[in-house]
Parts: sequence; structure tokens; C-alpha cells
Amino acid sequence: MIRLFHVSKIFPPNYPALVDIHLQVEKGEFVFLSGPSGAGKTTLLNLLFRDEEATEGQIIVNGRNITRLNGAGVAELRQELGLVFQEFRLLPSLTALENVALAAEVVGTPRRESRRKAFTLLRELGLKDRHDCKPPVLSGGEQQRVAIARALVNDPILVLADEPTGNLDAEMAEETMRLLLRIHEQGTTVLIATHDTGLLERFSHRVVHLQRGRLTGDSKHPGEEGSA
Amino acid sequence: MRFAQVSFVSRRVLKSLRELPWTHVLTAGPMTMTLFIYVGFLLIQEYLHGLLHGWKSQVQVFAYLDNGAGAVDAMVKQVRSYPEVERVGYVSKAEAWEKFRRSLGAQSGVLEGLNADILPASLEITLAPSHRSRAAVEGLARRLRAVAGISEVEYPEEWVEKLGLLVLGIRWTKWVLGGFLFVATLLIVGSTVRLAFLARRDEIEIMQLVGASAGLIKAPFVIEGMIQGIVGASLALFGLWLVFLLLRERVPSSLAVFVPGGAVRFLDLRGAGVLLVLGLAMGTGGSLFALRKFLKRWGR
Repeated sequence: MIRLFHVSKIFPPNYPALVDIHLQVEKGEFVFLSGPSGAGKTTLLNLLFRDEEATEGQIIVNGRNITRLNGAGVAELRQELGLVFQEFRLLPSLTALENVALAAEVVGTPRRESRRKAFTLLRELGLKDRHDCKPPVLSGGEQQRVAIARALVNDPILVLADEPTGNLDAEMAEETMRLLLRIHEQGTTVLIATHDTGLLERFSHRVVHLQRGRLTGDSKHPGEEGSA
Repeated sequence: MRFAQVSFVSRRVLKSLRELPWTHVLTAGPMTMTLFIYVGFLLIQEYLHGLLHGWKSQVQVFAYLDNGAGAVDAMVKQVRSYPEVERVGYVSKAEAWEKFRRSLGAQSGVLEGLNADILPASLEITLAPSHRSRAAVEGLARRLRAVAGISEVEYPEEWVEKLGLLVLGIRWTKWVLGGFLFVATLLIVGSTVRLAFLARRDEIEIMQLVGASAGLIKAPFVIEGMIQGIVGASLALFGLWLVFLLLRERVPSSLAVFVPGGAVRFLDLRGAGVLLVLGLAMGTGGSLFALRKFLKRWGR
């Protein structure tokens, strides 16, 4: 599903955010990307949905080399992904339902169908009675569930989540993680960046560890530093 | 673009028109002004050009006769024999008086008490098309002045030249002022599109994240620009038409004799179409120019 070959990312003037990363994630895997702040977790996720471009190396996502995509290619790539962020990134002027339906509409799903899919997802995520609410009146956990519904509305093959529990209390964080596990159980590949070590202990899945831009550990391939 | 996306874009445009009406008015306003001024100058230029052409096509030389000049027939025959002359008409004192009285219309009462023979008889000489140059007219005037019985010779060449210069001046003003206004309008349209874009930046960022194509993001802004352009051009057209009606009402009917064809004309259907297309191009061009910079990152 994901392959990174000797990927580096250097920010100007000369700050190496990622150095020679070699990583492989199979279809249907659930992977934690861990490491302290500044380790390069967010940069790596940004490379995967082409918010940033790699300085060196090649990145393959679902059989496509995404380092060579043009604007239209980037849009197509993102239509296959589901993105979840720490700060939710919902539009405050739209209701929960509209926020989710927007993602379906931009890829060409008819409005009625988009709203139906959005409502079904919100209902499955326990937000049936909150679908008409705008984000400012929703709790952090509810907003994150709306964001997850938005990530799922186009049936993604890969979900990338950047610190999805970072702004939530322990209970909400637990609930959000269970949601992401449910998505994984339905066959979707999930890659989660987190610095919360407690989360890694409670949910035992593959952990890829980054430190100062370098891959320093992989629970799937213990002892193989720098490549996995 | 799929039908669902066309519907999505239409809804976004309608929403923007509903929620940000003043932004659109501020964009359409300068376009209206620019097109109004530019096309106004174009109409004035066309009108004066037509006038000039009309005058040139009937360049006449007036030879006023001495009081009591005899042998008019012989004089007419002599003048008619000149190669520059196409036609010679004799206007008697009585005819000149009657013509003058008619041209005064309702004010002709001021002539009461005056002798009907105070105006001189004259020859109205029309030049052949091949001799309608200043040199030919001046040459003819010199020869006419030497003819016995002719006291004074007048010709409107000087006026024609002055009018020609005026037309040239308006033509240049139109291009310089028009060019300046077009650039200014494009910058204003660009700025308002940028403001509208910034106002919706969060929405656009999220659309980009969920896989919206650059075309889908740009389309509402471009369509809004088109609508602003069409509305701006329509308002300019309406404003010009009102000014035209006002002038037609107020311009004295005696001036109509100077207008080729006998009537002041407004833009025809083709001209109005060109004006609308010009507005459309301005709105679209301004939007695309502004978006080019904002969506640069999509090209990578």
C-alpha cells in the first residue's frame, strides 16, 4: 500500500525533517507512527498526501509514484485517502452533515447521495441527533467524529491521521481510537501519527518510531534501524 | 466536470452572490465605469467621424456675388467649366433670405423689419470627388476671386481640418484613457477576487485536502467574474442609452442637419454584443489573473 524508498525532506535553508526513510506498509495494516515532537511524523504524513514534496527518494501509494504527480494527480490521490487532523479542520459555518457531505460533493457525488452517505456515517458514529449542529457547539470528541466521518465518506483505501487524539480527553481519545480500529477491521489501511506512548501501550499494533527525522525502530522488524 | 459538480459550482456561485453582494457590486462598478467611458468615447468618435466623412463628401465652396452682378448664366457656365467643379447652383437673394428664415425656425420673428434683399446672391459649388483636397479647394478659390462679379469666396476646409484633428484627438484619448481604465479595472477585479478568495480560504483548503480539482475550486470565482462582467457591461449599456436618449431630446433639431443620415445613432446589436463580450472578457480575465497566483501550488 505504501512504500518509501530513501526518502528525505529538507526544509530551507538546511533543516533535515526526514533523512533517508525506507518504509513499507502493507494493505490492511494498522500502523502507529510514533516519536517526540519534531521527529518528522507530520512531515511524513504530509508527504503521503502530497501536502509537501520529498526532497529525495520515491514514494509509492497504492501502486502510484506520488512524487511525480501534477495538480490533477494530487487531487485524484487525495480522493482515495481519508485525512484526520488533530485540530479537526471543520468549517464552522457548515453543519456536521454539510461538512461531511462537502467532501463527497467535491469528488462528483450528487448532492442528495452525498447527504445520505454523510447522514448514515454520522449515525454510525453516534451523531444522529447532532448532524444539524455546527462545529462550535459540538464537543471536541464530537468534532473529531465528524472529521472521521468526513475522512470516510469517499470510502478511502488509506486513512492518515495526524495526532487524532491530541486535543481530546482520555475518554474521548479512547473512543476515537476504537473508531479508527473499527475502520481498520473493515479492511482500510490506517496510519496514525502520535506522540502519546500510552496509546501505543493500550492498542498493540505495529509501531514505527521516528527520532530527529530518522527511522529508529519498527516493531514489525525489530533491530532493523533505518529501514522497515 | 460531472453534472453533480456543475450543480455544486452553481450552488456556490449563488451562495456567494447572496452572501457577498457588496463585493460583487464593488467589482462590477468599476467595470461599468470603464466600459461607459470607453464606449462613450467610441460613440463620440464614430459620430464625429461620420460627420467629417459627410462634410468631406459634400465639400462646397460658396462664392458670394456683388450686388447687381449681371450675366449670372455666363458666370455659372464659366465656373462649371472648371475641371474641379462637379455642380454649380445659383442661390438668389430671395432664396438665401428664405433659407435663412427657415433655419431660424420659431425665432424667425427677429428678422421682421429687415429688408429681404440684405443677403447676397451666391453660387454653391460642389467639387468633383477627385478634387476634394485642400490644395484643389484653395486653387479654385483663387480662380473664383478673379472672376468679375464675385466679391467673396468661402469654403469650410478649415473646419473640416479642425474636426479631423478633434477626431484624431478623441481616438487617441480613447486608447490611452481606455487602456489605463482597463488595467485599473483588471487590478480592481483581481483585488476583489483575492479578497473573496481569502474570505473562503479555509473552505478552499479543506476542499483541496479532500481532493477537489483545481478546476472545481476556480470555477465559482471565474463564473462570478463572468457575471460581474456581464452585469457591468449591461449597466454601462443602459447608462449610455439613457445619455443617448437625453441628448437626442435636448440636442436642437437644427443640429440634425450636420449628422450623416439625418439622425444620431446608438450602438447597433453587434456593437451592444461586443460591449457585453468585452465585459465578459474583463471579468473572466481579472478572475483568472487573480487565481493564477493563489493556485500556483497546484501546478507542482
